[in-house]
Amino acid sequence: MNIIKFMNTKGKQNIIIFLALVALIVIFTALNPNFINRYNILSMAQSLSPYAFLALGVTFVIATGGIDLSIGTVCIAAAVIAGKLYMSGMPLWMTIPVMLIIGIIFGIANGFMVAVLGLPPFIATLGTMMFARGVSALAVSVPNIFYPTGTWFNGVFSNYSGIPTGIFWVIGFMLICMYLMYKSKVGRYILSIGSNEEATRLSGINIVKYKILAYLFSGLGAGIAAIFWSASFTTVASATGNGMELDAIAGVYIGGTSATGGVASVGGSIIGSVLLVVIRSGLNFVLAKFNLNLNATYVTYVLTGVIVIVAVLMDVIKNKKIKSN
Amino acid sequence: MGEQILKMTGIEKRFSGVYALKNANFELCSGEVHALMGENGAGKSTLMKVLCGIYQKDAGEVELFGQKVNFKSINDSQKAGIAIIHQELNMINHLTVAQNIYIGREEMTGGVIINDSKMEKKAKELFDRIGVKIDPSQTLGSLSVGKQQMVEIAKAVSHDSKLLILDEPTAALTQPEVEELFKIMNDLRGKGIGMIYISHRMDEIGRISDRITVMRDGEYIGTLITQNTTKDEIVNMMVGRVIYGEKKQKSNVKPDAETVLEVRNLNRANVIRDVSFKLRKGEILGFSGLMGAGRTEIARAIYGADGYDSGEIYIKGERVKIKQPSDAVKRGVCYLSEDRKRYGLLLSKSIAENSVLASIDDYIKFGWIDDKSAERSAEEINKVLKTKASSVYQELRKLSGGNQQKVIVARWLLKNCDIFIFDEPTRGIDIGAKSEMYELMEKLVAQGKSIIMISSELSEIQRLSDRVAVMCEGKITAVLDIENATQEEIMKYATMRN
Repeated sequence: MNIIKFMNTKGKQNIIIFLALVALIVIFTALNPNFINRYNILSMAQSLSPYAFLALGVTFVIATGGIDLSIGTVCIAAAVIAGKLYMSGMPLWMTIPVMLIIGIIFGIANGFMVAVLGLPPFIATLGTMMFARGVSALAVSVPNIFYPTGTWFNGVFSNYSGIPTGIFWVIGFMLICMYLMYKSKVGRYILSIGSNEEATRLSGINIVKYKILAYLFSGLGAGIAAIFWSASFTTVASATGNGMELDAIAGVYIGGTSATGGVASVGGSIIGSVLLVVIRSGLNFVLAKFNLNLNATYVTYVLTGVIVIVAVLMDVIKNKKIKSN
Repeated sequence: MGEQILKMTGIEKRFSGVYALKNANFELCSGEVHALMGENGAGKSTLMKVLCGIYQKDAGEVELFGQKVNFKSINDSQKAGIAIIHQELNMINHLTVAQNIYIGREEMTGGVIINDSKMEKKAKELFDRIGVKIDPSQTLGSLSVGKQQMVEIAKAVSHDSKLLILDEPTAALTQPEVEELFKIMNDLRGKGIGMIYISHRMDEIGRISDRITVMRDGEYIGTLITQNTTKDEIVNMMVGRVIYGEKKQKSNVKPDAETVLEVRNLNRANVIRDVSFKLRKGEILGFSGLMGAGRTEIARAIYGADGYDSGEIYIKGERVKIKQPSDAVKRGVCYLSEDRKRYGLLLSKSIAENSVLASIDDYIKFGWIDDKSAERSAEEINKVLKTKASSVYQELRKLSGGNQQKVIVARWLLKNCDIFIFDEPTRGIDIGAKSEMYELMEKLVAQGKSIIMISSELSEIQRLSDRVAVMCEGKITAVLDIENATQEEIMKYATMRN
């Protein structure tokens, strides 16, 4: 009974996406066996963590029926500002709380605008996205911020002599998010708000508080992503990471979280993020192998666009079926 | 009544093997108002959808104006002169009345510019013809629901429809609007238009219809001439038993019962005017009045769903400040909205989740929600309430209106609420489930809970209330003891404008 229920609600799309992921890995490997060499796996794992944290955080906002467009530029702003402070003499470990706090502040600001002031989430977070991009450029007079390489910081968060340590953090954070989403009051109310906000309010639940919390999680996700971004890429400019929020959000939709809220798949968000990383990397290998003169980044966009639309279409069709029954 | 224009015989419709309609028959003559009755789920809407071509029948015949027809879509049936007017109106609030009527066939100047004034002129002529008094240049959204419905009827007439289907048209109308609607229907009757009238309201059906066809479980039960029948006969055919209870004779509340809720001089600009009343323990206080009299507004203000400008609220003798629903719930007050789908239910979530939504704190152990024990509680309480469902995992959207209502009652019982505000507790609930809902409310007060019941059905008010507060234009015009709450008396105060 429980297994059937699981399949019907959130499991089915996860399984489809997971199978698609496995199929892609097999295809890429068949086309170019170098795809699964150790170094590429490490590099994929390193680039996964920032996207995965963004995706996990924003899943909570999408579950309420909202959206957070600001996560990408907030992540970069956090990395840039903390890096600037580090370069001016702040101890390295201090960059961690600074990045987290910057993420949280932006998250609370978004939550306040949406839940208290009543701005549409798209508009509020679009404003924050631009604001954060501007702030990070203004805060930093130098073109690039350099984080150290080969220190404990990189070892703990990115690469410890070939072991992609970021992955363990992603898994740990995913488990915490699963608890929060499915087994805590916060998640239960966030999903209820996404399902029917007014009914939730009239059930005596303080929806302002829980909506702010959802945006706070999203901002916190951006702050955490900043740590992993800095540790992996070490060079950060205010213009880097343009559009990374869109990649993360695409991963969430691909993972089966409903665009209208009320249904969320934490595990799906991770699978969706992995899928995007695999596609980006795999295409590089395939294009290189066949000497195709195409830019892998752009081919990735084309493919990702199609996948997002198909994934959301599956959700739409499912909802239509439910309605007509 | 004129000649026969519609004859449906032996209609069958199956959904994945299950009969929704089985040997359903229906006839309509020109100039006739033919009521179609039956409990929710009896197949009325399905039969109408077959007629309109929204569903395809599996067997049977439809004859329209003497011709066999088999509509494949609603466009086909529209072209053949059938118009359906739904409970939920299908019009666009931002457009004007005239723009709505002529949508899809706009008057154009030079083929490119929409000629609004010409459409308004045509709409005006149309309204004059059927006796509607509405300015066609107004935006639709600025009209009352009743007026909007008349616009939709006018639109149907402008399409030259010879057959109108009115699906619960009076559900959201005020009494004067109902009168106006009936006047228009009588005019249309004179013009030879046949009307199928779906409603649960016996009194209205008795007044407006010529014949009544009753359906039960997808089958045709019989057709009655309205003049020669009684309410009991109809209800009997619908459910196979008599269920409408009699008017309550005497209040069951003890004379010395404590006051659990008191409202003093409550005001909100233009909608609530100086409202004061008391609710006693174990009492059902009925709130009667026309649509828009301010009953729902008072309920929402007490509950903290909307604010109020001035006034005092006392719960169990203590003055309270209620700013949001959570404040009210903390004090044991709950509100069950008339619009359950919008304001009550998480349709895509399970019975269990809906039942424990307000009381989830009780099931948290060391920060983790104990779903097993929550499900157990939900199961127990829904068993007591006799919620019909396959299991507590069933999604709310799959339940009937009556069972959905029970799940919301379950939610508040699990939260230990003892002041219930029911807003139209039986709207959209079929007759069989209605009497169950009545029993449930009686059981609640017998256990010492107190109920404010807002209802537009006088028989419901009379059957359940210990006292009746009658409202008109935001004011309480009378609080009647049940002994004195005759229909005439209630209507007198409900229309007491000054």
